[in-house]
Amino acid sequence: MPSAQAELVVIAHFKNSIVGLTAKQVQDLFLGRERTFPNGKFALPIDQSSPLRAEFYEKLTGRPVEQINAYWARIMFTGQASPPQQLPDDKAVLQTVRENEGAIGYIDKTRVDNTVRVLLLLN
Amino acid sequence: MKYIILFTSAFLLFGAPAAFAKDVYPSFTVKGFGTLGASGTDTDRLGFRRDIKQSAGVTNGWGFDNDSRLGLQLDVDINKSWHATAQWVARNNTGDFFEQNLDWFFLRWRLEDDLDIRVGRMGFDVFMLSEYRNVGYAYLWMRPPHEFYAGLPVYHFDGADIAKKYAIGEGILTIKAFGGYSFFQVPITNSSNSAAQGTTVAGGKLAYEYGNWNTRIGYTYVLTNNEFAALQPLLDTLNSAEVNAVWPGAQALVRQIATKNKIVHFSSIGLAYDDGLWLAQMEASYIDSDQLNYPSVASGYFSAGRRFGKVTLYSLFGISESLHNQIELSNPLIPVPAIVELRNAVAQLPNSSRVDEKSVSLGLRWDVTEHIDLKTQWSHYWLGNNGAALWLTPAAGLTPDTVNVWSVGLDFVF
Repeated sequence: MPSAQAELVVIAHFKNSIVGLTAKQVQDLFLGRERTFPNGKFALPIDQSSPLRAEFYEKLTGRPVEQINAYWARIMFTGQASPPQQLPDDKAVLQTVRENEGAIGYIDKTRVDNTVRVLLLLN
Repeated sequence: MKYIILFTSAFLLFGAPAAFAKDVYPSFTVKGFGTLGASGTDTDRLGFRRDIKQSAGVTNGWGFDNDSRLGLQLDVDINKSWHATAQWVARNNTGDFFEQNLDWFFLRWRLEDDLDIRVGRMGFDVFMLSEYRNVGYAYLWMRPPHEFYAGLPVYHFDGADIAKKYAIGEGILTIKAFGGYSFFQVPITNSSNSAAQGTTVAGGKLAYEYGNWNTRIGYTYVLTNNEFAALQPLLDTLNSAEVNAVWPGAQALVRQIATKNKIVHFSSIGLAYDDGLWLAQMEASYIDSDQLNYPSVASGYFSAGRRFGKVTLYSLFGISESLHNQIELSNPLIPVPAIVELRNAVAQLPNSSRVDEKSVSLGLRWDVTEHIDLKTQWSHYWLGNNGAALWLTPAAGLTPDTVNVWSVGLDFVF
């Protein structure tokens, strides 16, 4: 279990040419409001099913994860879009981000290495 | 329409083996939602129901039926731009258990990132919540505001819609247009039978999402294609030569009472605010109708709430008032008792579908886990004279003009 004070990083493929993203831009991608990076390239947001998920949305949006789930229930059950795919942990997210040029995910800051690009720090 | 369903079914059934990694098509997902709810009132003279599609209501005897339901949704990503969705919701409703409860069944084509075209069966997007009234987890209250949503028996239609999103300023504007045909079954008052209704629908909306704000403006046109079965005996009587011999104006009433080719216009405006701590929502609508058994009505609601950790406290005020639909009646030449009785029945007709209702509610939503909430709500209703059309009314006798409704519910998504 990550501590409540953990710092998170939003990561992308090392070939991704984006230097950084604002919290609003990351939010738009993870809430399905925006489907491409600012450079027009297709984005594939990767969510987690771990306890880090609640912390990520709390830090990113200032809202509890239940509200994010209620938001997705509305979008999903009215046939508009599907929420991002969820992977079990940081390790799986790192692996997928390394392998997909369009991927964008989040992990605990202490797990990050130089095989991926950091787009945003959340604390 | 039949072919679209067959086409989609073929995809769903024979598409290809299921796959789980992203980028591998087709990929299948099964999701669902549900509510277990119980409610009761302080009267046995009126039945409380979620909406006028329900033929059973709760009284002071309490009941589980009206708010409990279970929905299942299958999503198929066929490839990057094609997607199919089917959603079926088991619930207490009038009509065919399989067909009427199939709310979504469509193919979506994403032509570009911000442009979607869908063909098949879709939710009826007439007000802010009308497409997801069944998904209790997605909204704050025990059920959508009664004065605003209970008069809407249409849940879905078969046809097509097109939606385009534009980034404007810091927000996102959605423009949507839809059209098609809706078949739905509604209960007949004081009868165990239901009546089938066929309508042509067309409409559109503009929605703007900006930070904590959400606004929506919508318009929908509904044309009734058939005669309401429950009125047919009355129409036949008014058309008969014998009746017209004694009451020359009778036949002319048929045109006023008939439902076929009558038009209903739905116009609405809505605004919602949610900053994570405080939330508020309001909608106002005007339904302009030529139909005597669905009189023109103005409705609105306002709700405000505040979160305290996992618990949200809310209040809700609703109002709905039918406009007086007067029917012009001539007098029979000879006051034969049967004809006088018939005339009275016709004069009473607009009254049985009138809404004169106001309510205040207080409630609580507690997010127990990330996918389960518990709710409880108390509502106090004021019902005007001949204003209880959203309720189940007894065949004869007085009905109360105030009713308390208590509810508890558990909503979940999976």
